[in-house]
Parts: sequence; structure tokens; C-alpha cells
Amino acid sequence: MTASSSGVLRPSPLSAWLWLRRHPRQAAPLVAIQALVTALLVMIITPTNAFRATSEAYAEALARVTIASPLRQFAFDDDLLARLDANPGQAERVEAKMFWLKMPMIVGQGFAPLIAVPDDARDAFLERVGARLVEGHWPRPGTDDAVLHDSLITARGFRLGDAFGRLEDPADPTPGRFVVVGRLEGSARLGIVDHAYASRPASVLARTPPFQLVYAKAGREAESDAYLRDLVDDEGRSLLHVVDRAYLAERIDESLANLPVLLGFITAAVALVVALVTSLLAVVAFQARVDEFGLQLAVGHRVRTLVRKLARETALVATLGWAIGLGIGLTSVTLYRDLVLEPKGILMQVPDMRPILLSLLVPTLSTVVASFVIARRLRGMDPVSVIQRRGA
Amino acid sequence: MTDAETVIEARGVGLSYRDGQRHVTALHDIDLAVARGERVALVGPSGSGKSSLLFVLGGLRRPTHGDVLLLGRSLVGGADATADVRRRHVGFLFQEPFLVPYLTVRENALAHVPTAEASERVEALAVSIGIAHLLDERPHRLSGGERQRAGLLRALAAGPDLILADEPTASLDHATGRAVLDALAAHARDAALVVATHDLSMLDAVHRVLRLADGRQTPG
Repeated sequence: MTASSSGVLRPSPLSAWLWLRRHPRQAAPLVAIQALVTALLVMIITPTNAFRATSEAYAEALARVTIASPLRQFAFDDDLLARLDANPGQAERVEAKMFWLKMPMIVGQGFAPLIAVPDDARDAFLERVGARLVEGHWPRPGTDDAVLHDSLITARGFRLGDAFGRLEDPADPTPGRFVVVGRLEGSARLGIVDHAYASRPASVLARTPPFQLVYAKAGREAESDAYLRDLVDDEGRSLLHVVDRAYLAERIDESLANLPVLLGFITAAVALVVALVTSLLAVVAFQARVDEFGLQLAVGHRVRTLVRKLARETALVATLGWAIGLGIGLTSVTLYRDLVLEPKGILMQVPDMRPILLSLLVPTLSTVVASFVIARRLRGMDPVSVIQRRGA
Repeated sequence: MTDAETVIEARGVGLSYRDGQRHVTALHDIDLAVARGERVALVGPSGSGKSSLLFVLGGLRRPTHGDVLLLGRSLVGGADATADVRRRHVGFLFQEPFLVPYLTVRENALAHVPTAEASERVEALAVSIGIAHLLDERPHRLSGGERQRAGLLRALAAGPDLILADEPTASLDHATGRAVLDALAAHARDAALVVATHDLSMLDAVHRVLRLADGRQTPG
């Protein structure tokens, strides 16, 4: 021990660290409980961000353009197209169609967009969504060729030349049949098919109505989208269904609306159980140290000093367990992401601050509950009884 | 000795408490004043109130009536309320040394006074009572006499004005008990010492004896 500048000895004989260093075996069960529970919470909560991360990745392609489709009629007519073209924020519009490509999610399935754009509009579209062809060739006009983003090919286990669609597999929700002929890269996870093929009147693909891809002038996206949303008929009813970045974000939020409540409930319940277990173990440990605390009270320590000492010991053990658990949890979810999810095209954000912050509830609640329970016992402790019992 | 030198004073102190269904009166109107440098022994049979009086003098028990003055100031309140005063001014030596098992002898002595000044005092005291080589040992490695001397080290670490010792030699053999007693007497020169004991051989080390029976002072 050495004296600090204020003349106080460091480390203090009452320091929590000193206690922990000399009681590794007594602290181990508490550290282990905290670590396992924290790791469990990280491993349970982190993968839930895969819903959002993967959904957002699939939505990214659509978020970079605006999709407008008629709300009150099957297809655009000249009048509606004229009103569309009066949009002052519009740079260009392209007729397109969209189908959905089934993709695995962490639970259940999601859908990536499979977009049919005319040949002459393809390059501009791909530039806007940030995708480029890295293998194979573009869909040939009038054929069932499809180029897919690398992550979709990996996730579905395709190779170039493989076919998909309901005509190939009745369980596949994508209508018709397509053959993978190229691989795309870029941040937008989507597929491109030929617009002419997707518009053949005799094809089942014709049942899917066309929409307009609206490209806004640079910096005028909000103005353009607002114009589209505000288009109404004589009775004031919206004419268009507008899918823009805000709409997609709202839908994703909506689909995950109950998740934070569920996770909060799970975490709170787990933290409460751990806090009760911790306080029970703390009481057992306290009973084994009754002589020590009786003596400390007798020689002049205040109850609050000893409560603080025990709270620091509990907090140190709980924090140590939390840190170890965090390490185990993060390592586990990283391995899970790299080895299991990513090969299926499922994204997961690691580290995720939600489980890290939520799991802090475990050591915090443990420390508070254990300190409260021990404080009550210390307040009821009579040092004279302890001394006389041992001296008898 | 003048009033100014009085360290501890009990004025008409009485102590009653309930022990289950039983009402116990442990002390009846005890008057006692102990000056700095004075050594007083409390003697009497078991249950005579010796320990109770020590606990009242040290502020661990609140008297039912009467008053206790430490350095002229009333010791008001129970064990927690008087803790700061006790830590600074009172050294306790119990029959059992009550050493904290995970702390070394040095850490045990300094747990309630973790100051550089107390540390220097402990170093010097440890040399004079012959346990300097044990300062960094934990209690389980000490003999009974060494443990009691470690307890003495803790009692003296803060440089107390009042030392209260409850049967400090009861669990020691005669020679070891004598050594502890001599050390206690030698290092209590600047403090008031009140020692409760059954050991009549201790009486030649004190200036005055207060005899108790059934919680009352009895004539010597």
C-alpha cells in the first residue's frame, strides 16, 4: 500500500478490487451468471437486427428512385401520364414492371425486387441504383434472361444457367420462368429482367401492371415525391400509389413495430431474474461475512460506508461478468453472421448497440437490488450481538 | 487529575433491553470517569455488566438513561451515529481479535484509518509488539497470540484517546496474555484504558479497579 498525495492509502483495504483479487472463487459464480446472461442477451437480440438490415438492403434499390403506380385504374392512361409529366421536379420517367424474388430471412422469407426495364433505359437505371454487371451478360431482348445481384445468387444457391420461377418450381412465388445469365454487384440488391419479355400479352407476367420509375432532378427528390403524392382526382382522392424512400422506411418500421417492446420485455424479465439470483447469492455471501461487517461497524465504519463497499464489490463483479459476456456474445454473433447468415444473403449488424445497452440493465439491476437487500441487512445488524456471539 | 484530562465519563448510566420475553437491566446508574493515561479494570463475574459498560462507553450501545461523555462531548445516538467519533477516538480490543480473513495484518489494522500517518504508526507499533515480520501475512497463518497482537495493532492504529478492551487475554495462555497486556499498557500511556477482565493477574497493570455485580458498582 502507498499513500496518495492526500495521505490516504491506496489501494484502500476496503477496495472492491482487493476483495475480488482475493476471492476469485467466491466471485466466479456471480461473474459466470452475469457473463452467460449477457452473452445470451447479445446472442438473442443482435440477430433481430437482421430483419431490418436485410429488408433495408432489399429496399435500397427502390429507395433511389420513386415508383408511381395508378391507384384507381389498372394502368396509366394518357391523361394520367400527362399529369405525371407536369411534375416540375421530374428529370425522367421510365415504364417498368416489378416481380419479387423470394429470399431467405433470419426467420421466414423476404423478397428482393426483380425489375423489368426497357433496354434503352437500363444503363440509366443501374447508374441510379448503383449496380454493375460483373459476370455474364445483360438480358437479351425478348428472352427470359435475368441478371441478379451477387448476394441473391449466393443466397438462393444459383449458378449461371439455373432457372427459377413458378413455372420451374410451383412453390416459387416469382411468376413465370427466368434463367440466371449474369451477376451484379453494388449496394442495391436486385435483379434485372427484360421488359419486353415481361410484357408479352400471352404471358402470365402480363398480369403484373406496369408502373413508372420516376427520376427526380438532382436535389429535388422531395419536391418530386410531394408532387406525386399530391396528385388527386376531382373528388380529392389520391391518384397514385407512391413508393419512395420515406414510404419504404415507414413500411419497414411498421413491420418491426413490436420488436423493441418484445426485446425490452425479454431483457427486463431476464435482468430482474438475474438481479434476484444475484441478490440471493449476495445475501449468502453476506451471511458468510457477518463477523467482518460486525467488526467494521464496531470499529467505526458507518453502515453507508459498508453498503457502498458491498455495492462496489457487486458492481465490479457484475461489470466484469457483463464485459466477459459481451465478449463472448459479440464473438458468437460475429461467427454466426460470417458462417451462417452471410452465405444465405442475410445481413446482420455487429456490433449492435441495442443489446449492448439493454444488457447493461443486467449488472445495473443486479447491483441496485443486491445493494438494497444488503443495505437492509446491514441496517438491522447489531455489531455488539456479532461480537458477543463470537466472544461467548 | 483535573476534569480537562478526562477522556471518558459515564454519568448515572443505565442500560436495559429486551431479550426475547425477558426484560434485562444490564447496568444501574454507573458513574465512571477515566483520565488520559489512566488504566481502569472492570472486574466482576460473568453477566455483571462489564462488557455492557464497555459497549456503552464506546458508543456501541445507547444508554437507557444517563449520559456518556467522550472528550467532554456527549456520545449521542446508536452505533451508526457514533461511528465517526469511535473511528477517530476509540480503539477496541476484543476477546476474539476479529481479523478480516482476506486482509493482511497491516490491512486489518488500517481498514478503518487508511492514512499515511496511521500506516507509519502501525509500522512502529508492529516492531515494538514483535509482529513486524507478520504485517503482510493473512490471519490464518498466525498463532492465537499473534492474532491478538494484530488486534491490538488495529486498536492502536488511529492513535485513539480511549482504548476499550474486553477480556483481551481470555483465550490466551498466561505468558502470551501477559505479553499482550504489557504491550497494551505500554502503548496506552497517552490514552485512557478501560479493560474488562476475569484475569486477576491483570490488576497490577491498572491504576484503578471498578467492581461490578448485577450491573451495579460494588465497593472494592
